[in-house]
Amino acid sequence: MLDMRVTLPLQRIILLWLLSFPVLLSGQEKLQYSGPLQLGKFKGEAAYDYKLEGNDTILDGPFRMQRSSLQALLENEDASFSFSGNFENNYPDGFWSFLFGEFQSDSESQIVDYQYRVKISGIQNQAKGNIRQGRPDGLWEYLIQRIEDSEVAETLFKSAITFEGGVPQKSFRIENETSTLVGRFLRNGLAHDIWSLYSDSDSRTSENWYFNEGWLSKIEFEENGEVLVSQIYEEPTGSFKVLSLDSGYLQILKLKLQQADSLSFLSRGIPALLAENAANYKKIDNILSGLGRSAFLPEFKVKAEHFPLDSLETARMDAIKGLYQRSVAISEPLLNNTQLNILRRSDEQAQFLHAVVSAISSDFLQPLQQLVKYAELDVLEFVPRDQLISGLWPNGKPGTRIRIDSGEAGEAPKVFTGPNASQLQFGANNLQSAQDMARYASISLDSIAGVLNDKLVKDQRQQDFISLEEQMIAQVNELNKHIDSVSSLLPSDEREALSNIRALAERRLNQYSSLEENSAKIDYARASIACFTDLKSLSESISKGPERLEVIQEKYQDAVWNPFIATIMNEEVKKRITAAYRKVLLPYFLDKAKEDLNCDNAKALGDLMDSTYERLLELRDESTSKLERKLRKEQDPEMILQLFNLPATDKVN
Amino acid sequence: MRQHYKISFGALISMLLCFSMPSWGQEEEVLPSESEFKEPVERLWINTYGNIRISKRLFWDAQTHFRFEETENTPFVGQIGQIYNRHAIGYIYSKAFNVSLGGVLRINFNTDESSTDRKVVPEWRIWHQYQFALPLASVMTYHRFRIEHRWTQGFAENSEYIFRNRWRYMFRVKVPLNNHKFEPKTIYVSPEAELIWQSGKEVVASPLEDLRLTTTVGYILTPRLTVAAGMMYSQGQTLENGGIYKQSWTVRCHLYFSPDFRKVKNKLPAIHFDD
Repeated sequence: MLDMRVTLPLQRIILLWLLSFPVLLSGQEKLQYSGPLQLGKFKGEAAYDYKLEGNDTILDGPFRMQRSSLQALLENEDASFSFSGNFENNYPDGFWSFLFGEFQSDSESQIVDYQYRVKISGIQNQAKGNIRQGRPDGLWEYLIQRIEDSEVAETLFKSAITFEGGVPQKSFRIENETSTLVGRFLRNGLAHDIWSLYSDSDSRTSENWYFNEGWLSKIEFEENGEVLVSQIYEEPTGSFKVLSLDSGYLQILKLKLQQADSLSFLSRGIPALLAENAANYKKIDNILSGLGRSAFLPEFKVKAEHFPLDSLETARMDAIKGLYQRSVAISEPLLNNTQLNILRRSDEQAQFLHAVVSAISSDFLQPLQQLVKYAELDVLEFVPRDQLISGLWPNGKPGTRIRIDSGEAGEAPKVFTGPNASQLQFGANNLQSAQDMARYASISLDSIAGVLNDKLVKDQRQQDFISLEEQMIAQVNELNKHIDSVSSLLPSDEREALSNIRALAERRLNQYSSLEENSAKIDYARASIACFTDLKSLSESISKGPERLEVIQEKYQDAVWNPFIATIMNEEVKKRITAAYRKVLLPYFLDKAKEDLNCDNAKALGDLMDSTYERLLELRDESTSKLERKLRKEQDPEMILQLFNLPATDKVN
Repeated sequence: MRQHYKISFGALISMLLCFSMPSWGQEEEVLPSESEFKEPVERLWINTYGNIRISKRLFWDAQTHFRFEETENTPFVGQIGQIYNRHAIGYIYSKAFNVSLGGVLRINFNTDESSTDRKVVPEWRIWHQYQFALPLASVMTYHRFRIEHRWTQGFAENSEYIFRNRWRYMFRVKVPLNNHKFEPKTIYVSPEAELIWQSGKEVVASPLEDLRLTTTVGYILTPRLTVAAGMMYSQGQTLENGGIYKQSWTVRCHLYFSPDFRKVKNKLPAIHFDD
């Protein structure tokens, strides 16, 4: 009995231990990382827990990342930061704290409590709060402070917003150096009641937004001591949609207020403060979404009237976007074309068409660009279409007839009419007429570009001819000058070769001038320029001949002690090599230049002369007894070149 | 003075002849009252001079001369007179000075057409030479001191060797004619004068063995090969009688060669002796 009692638990323990094996194996093991990490512009040391799922790293557990460099701080400036928090299954979750800033130091240190202390100055960002499933939860504070000598000198920005699962709650407060915004939300995140902006200087409200369950009914704002009121959604009817109070919503407000006297408040006051807050939240979101999954946004909710786009309208909008991009791709290069800008001063038609392009650009394309931008911001469906379209052309839509004033008094304006003009009407304020206008702009630009590009090509060709001819003449002059300057000093063979080069260049120039002006002539000119370059370099190689021969003869000398005279004498060595150069190769090259020269082989011949000379200089110091034996009685230049290891002469022939 | 000289000279001669050269006969030579000059002998020398470099400073001096003499019927080249082999190891001290030490084996042919003695006898020498070469503007000048220790014998059967020393000094100039310096294709003219004295027991009254006045014209084919030709007049006392002078006119043809069989890498620094 006693034995049984002892053995049974032991067996059970072993059994349990064995059974737990597969569980342990299938369960994921937590891994730890500690080392360098880069997160956008932040680069520092990180320590975190994670697990692997397939090839994915899933952050799970505490996370910490920081950097600060005393050396950088003392030398110039240090961008230090410290992030800490917790992840759960790749979602930020739990308390998070963010601290980052850029600091300078005056490099003065003191010792306090066995530590060196250095005072710093700079700007510090600080944010802290709870996160649940990647979304802010509870009170979040964001603070930007200016630090001077390690003390807070000024609060530049401060926001305190309470969230519940990412949805803003209760009242909030956002302030910067000059003003403070206070407002509140309903439990579903919708803006409610009055949002007031207080100016810090006089603590009076300077701007009030009146919300009613997400509907912005009116805006009051003060300008030049006068209180202006803009009604927005006084008595909303019809369908609506809840959306975020972001730049898209502000754009909708602008469209609704476009007839109002002043829109300028939309770029300051409450919108500016909201934008500043959103930008700061974005900084945190950038960090978190770089690591795992998160949606760290203020998510202030508002309501707006909704006019959904039907499928036809969506297709029209796509077409407008395509036509707009196509048109800009034509008009921008034309308007910025320097050649056209010069040409239009002397060409009346070019001047007219350029003005038409300019008019199409400002009357058609710029409003359409705005329309495309609205589409991209997704605000089309929150504004009545006719209001939207008519707002794009506040001074009325252009017609198909584009009138261009000549600029001179008494002269009737010229009119441009594009293709299919009679079939088009731009009167209606809907997407169809906008699409028609986009199409009209596009086909008109097509036809204008056709005419202008032809003109430009012709003009370009004319200019090409002029510059090519100038270049050719300069080259031939240069060549002749070179030949004149060296000829008198050269032996007759070299002289004859040079005069043949000169004759070839002159022939080429004559041939050019007899050609008709077309693209083949341009090609001929280009080929001639290349040819003249080759001829110049060949003539240089030829004129260097005697000088090179001297260098070679000098180099192929060996100092030898003559005991009978008791003096040191120079002895010519490797005579077969120098003789092959002097007696076979040089005459061969000169014969080619005299009798068998053309633009195709001039370069190869010049190069071969140069490389042969270089090779001769090398051969002096190489072991050549075998080569010298082979050179005996060899009179064939091609064979000799081959023996010298020089490239084949195919191109020379 | 003259008296004394005569007596001692005659006594010496007689003693020497008695002891060492009995075959020379019993006759005593008597100095003539005036110097007598023999008819000049016409000769042709064909000389090769080899100077073979064996190290940076050493060379092998190898000379072979073929010397012909007139016969009654043929001037200059009638018969072979001597074949002459001179060898030495030379040391180049600097461009301006070198020394040599070596031996000579000369084969002397009996040129006395009437003689019934041996036709050929050898002659042995040990020689050493000190030569200075000094440039003077475009001209080269040379001072050559050569000392030879010479063992000769007559053509007579069983004749003994006699030993003499020769003291030679030569001054030579080489003047380039078609160039301002010596280099291949240079023609030069080279006048030279050499005085050869001798001494030894047998030399009693004729220390002046030879005075040679030569002019040659040379042509440098390559630094290693030169040819030259010229004419030499010489005169000197005969050994038998100091009052009698032999003379000769010699056509000389020279071939100078100086090969260097060393490997190229050893040659390179060798031209600057003062390094």
